[in-house]
Amino acid sequence: MTTPAHAATPHGPSRRGAGLARRLAPWSAAAVVAALAVWRMLYLHGVNDNFNAAFFAGAVVRSLQLGSLYALIALGYTMVYGIIRLINFAHGEVFMVGAFAAYFLFSATPYPWPVAVLVAAVVAYGFLRFLGFFRVLGRPVVLAAASSCFVAVALALASVRLGWLGAMVASMFVTGVLGMAIDRVAYKPLRGAPRNSMLITAIAVSFFLQNFGLLAFSNRQTPFRPQSFFTGQLTFPVAGETVFTTWMVVLVPAVTLVLVLVLTTLVTRTRLGRAMRATSQDAETARMMGVDVDRVISSTFLLGSMLAAAAAVMWGMSFGSINQPAIFGVLPGIKAFAAAVIGGIGSLPGAVIGGVLLGFLENFLTALFPRVGSFSGITEYKDTFAFLAMILILLLRPSGIVGEDLSEKV
Amino acid sequence: MTERPRPSGQRGVTLRRLLNIASAAALLVALYLVSTQGSVKLGQVFALFAVWGIATVSLNLINGVTGILSLGHHGFMLIGGYVTGLLMLPEAARENLRFSARNSLSDFAIGLSVERWMSALGLDALATPETIGVRFVIALLLGGLLAAVFGLVVGFPSLRLRGDYLAVVTFAFGEVIRLLASTPLLASYTNGALGFAGVPSGFGKSVWWTFGALAITVFVFARLKKGSYGRALQGIREDEIAAEAMGVNVAYHKVLAFVISAFFAGVAGGLWVSWVGTARLDLFLFSLTFYFLVAISVGGTGSITGALIGTALVVWVRQYGDPLEQAYPLATWAGAAGAVLVVAALLGYLYRRNRRMRPALHPLAVGAAAVGLVVAALSLFGVLDEALARRWQGFGMRAIALSVLLVVIMVFKPAGIMGRREFEWTWLLRDARDVPTEEERRQDAWLEAGAGATAPRPRGAEE
Repeated sequence: MTTPAHAATPHGPSRRGAGLARRLAPWSAAAVVAALAVWRMLYLHGVNDNFNAAFFAGAVVRSLQLGSLYALIALGYTMVYGIIRLINFAHGEVFMVGAFAAYFLFSATPYPWPVAVLVAAVVAYGFLRFLGFFRVLGRPVVLAAASSCFVAVALALASVRLGWLGAMVASMFVTGVLGMAIDRVAYKPLRGAPRNSMLITAIAVSFFLQNFGLLAFSNRQTPFRPQSFFTGQLTFPVAGETVFTTWMVVLVPAVTLVLVLVLTTLVTRTRLGRAMRATSQDAETARMMGVDVDRVISSTFLLGSMLAAAAAVMWGMSFGSINQPAIFGVLPGIKAFAAAVIGGIGSLPGAVIGGVLLGFLENFLTALFPRVGSFSGITEYKDTFAFLAMILILLLRPSGIVGEDLSEKV
Repeated sequence: MTERPRPSGQRGVTLRRLLNIASAAALLVALYLVSTQGSVKLGQVFALFAVWGIATVSLNLINGVTGILSLGHHGFMLIGGYVTGLLMLPEAARENLRFSARNSLSDFAIGLSVERWMSALGLDALATPETIGVRFVIALLLGGLLAAVFGLVVGFPSLRLRGDYLAVVTFAFGEVIRLLASTPLLASYTNGALGFAGVPSGFGKSVWWTFGALAITVFVFARLKKGSYGRALQGIREDEIAAEAMGVNVAYHKVLAFVISAFFAGVAGGLWVSWVGTARLDLFLFSLTFYFLVAISVGGTGSITGALIGTALVVWVRQYGDPLEQAYPLATWAGAAGAVLVVAALLGYLYRRNRRMRPALHPLAVGAAAVGLVVAALSLFGVLDEALARRWQGFGMRAIALSVLLVVIMVFKPAGIMGRREFEWTWLLRDARDVPTEEERRQDAWLEAGAGATAPRPRGAEE
């Protein structure tokens, strides 16, 4: 295919002279939506006392929690798309593997020593790659760090039961290495191949991982309740009422914020980040300017998969269980992809904005249209919101909310 | 198959016609044998091949011929399947549904029936048990038509979007159709996730019927591909802007490709529901589209014969892959995995050596072999004996095999087995006929023009 994928010729009437209207249009649309939401809240409040300020405050914090999870997954999609223009269909399954890896890291430890050594080797490899990004460490130091990491992780896995934090970090490295391996085995041989081939391969990888999950973890609901302060109940007062929720609504956005800040620093302040930005602009030129493009792509997969694993662990902790591996990653994956598209695929802030927006959309629509009287509510439609929002955004503004307007090149 | 004049005059044409007739007769005899002598399982394999073949060939029109990656085919099949199932429900099954406590089908949905329409229209002769065939055709056509309407809806985004975005939008449409079918909005027609049973299947299970539908589909799509319409679609695949410049109405052709493809997908869905005897949501998962994609990619993108070859492979793995999914001791699995690793490493070595790629031994192959050796050594010394004695069920092995196959095909032979070509008898008869092949003629022309004037295009360069 010779045509660029971000297509959509902007057409229609001339936009000159409509500058103010165009600038105000999104804000007025947002204002209209907010006004409708407030009106609906007041209406529900009048109908039923259960729909008080605390109910909607609970919806807000839950939206932020879910939105942060979507944002973390969406970052993986958007980074890979930004670098090699591939929709990594397998990212949802990477998320699934992150959840199950964490489960086995903190429920099945301590391991027998061969397994501990194997897992520690994978973690240490991921650690080495991660450290290698900064290039501030001399080679012997990196090697020493990685080998001490290897020894420490192997000892820990073979002797103690991991806490949720240790499991999350180890799972991030294991999953990151998986992401790199996927790129190495399935995508790298296809660099320069038609885009459809890459997409079909990504679908095949996703299918492989789904069924591998079925094979390895069996198709069941797995309780995911680490004994932790964070899963305990959190109550806070709003307008005289009490909101009941868990500490996860604080932890998830906080961890997400930290990870996004780390990622932003990495992308804007380090050599690797500069190389990534250069590669996403023009891979060929970047290669000519001395950027090791393959290494950049590989580290993109590492980072994106690590974020997905972090999201997966927090997802399991938030909802108390991780379910059938064959479908666990599908809906979060495709919703996060929708979030990336809504925000503007290829843009990091776009992924975060899109994810949070999608979280609010999903939680708020179900909160604003609950089961009242004979009306059965719209909870059962909530999975379709993400798809419909994505289709709408793609048709109206294919470059997303913060993406630039890309016109077709011939 | 259209006849093209050949330099050898009438001989090739007659021979080909004879061969066509002979192969059709052989197929009829084979189908007769299957339907009379074959086991139930064999009949299932053939029917599944025919039904999935229809869907694959129709998906191939969008994915292969037009070059648009569409991932929502299972949605079209779902629509066709449910419509056909509802319209064909016999009276007894309707009564069961009406009085079943958990059903959510509305009275209107339960009242839907081709049989009733026929008697309401005064065509009582068509409402008897003997005429189930006619009613079945009507139900299939209606299911196909409704699917085609949705094809129109999905086709419109294809005018604004390309490539990955369009693939994702079609995927989203397919999933939305599937998700909506289980919600209260449509549950009065689909009975939620439960679906409904009792669709008459004696008729749909016949090999003759399913293969008849497949034959019609193949005929239609072959004509489409060879005709001006198919040429336009292939032009769009090669270069949309050039096609537009040559006067092809790109929008019209793209949407029409979606509509036609969706129609046949709906018919395939109807046939499948009728063959299974129930309409259920889990018959129409995304994995269905994935299997069709595997079939198209393996067989050859854009080739009808290729799509059928691919379908045969997928159906074979699906129906005869049961041994892969049984429970075996872990030692057996480890041994099998080791054997696969060794064979893969060997193939990789040969491939790289043939391509003069250095080093011929890839680190991955070495690593895989090392892991295999370590596991073998450990089990040899009895370290893993206890762990390896446990039995382990290979759920999902068939799908894993198919997805690995797809990745391998995509990496090593993206064009598939057939590429974009269709099967021609001349491939088998090259020696029997004195007509030069396309490539020989090209080389002759090149030699006559003076070697070196223009390099001959290597075979398959256009792919």
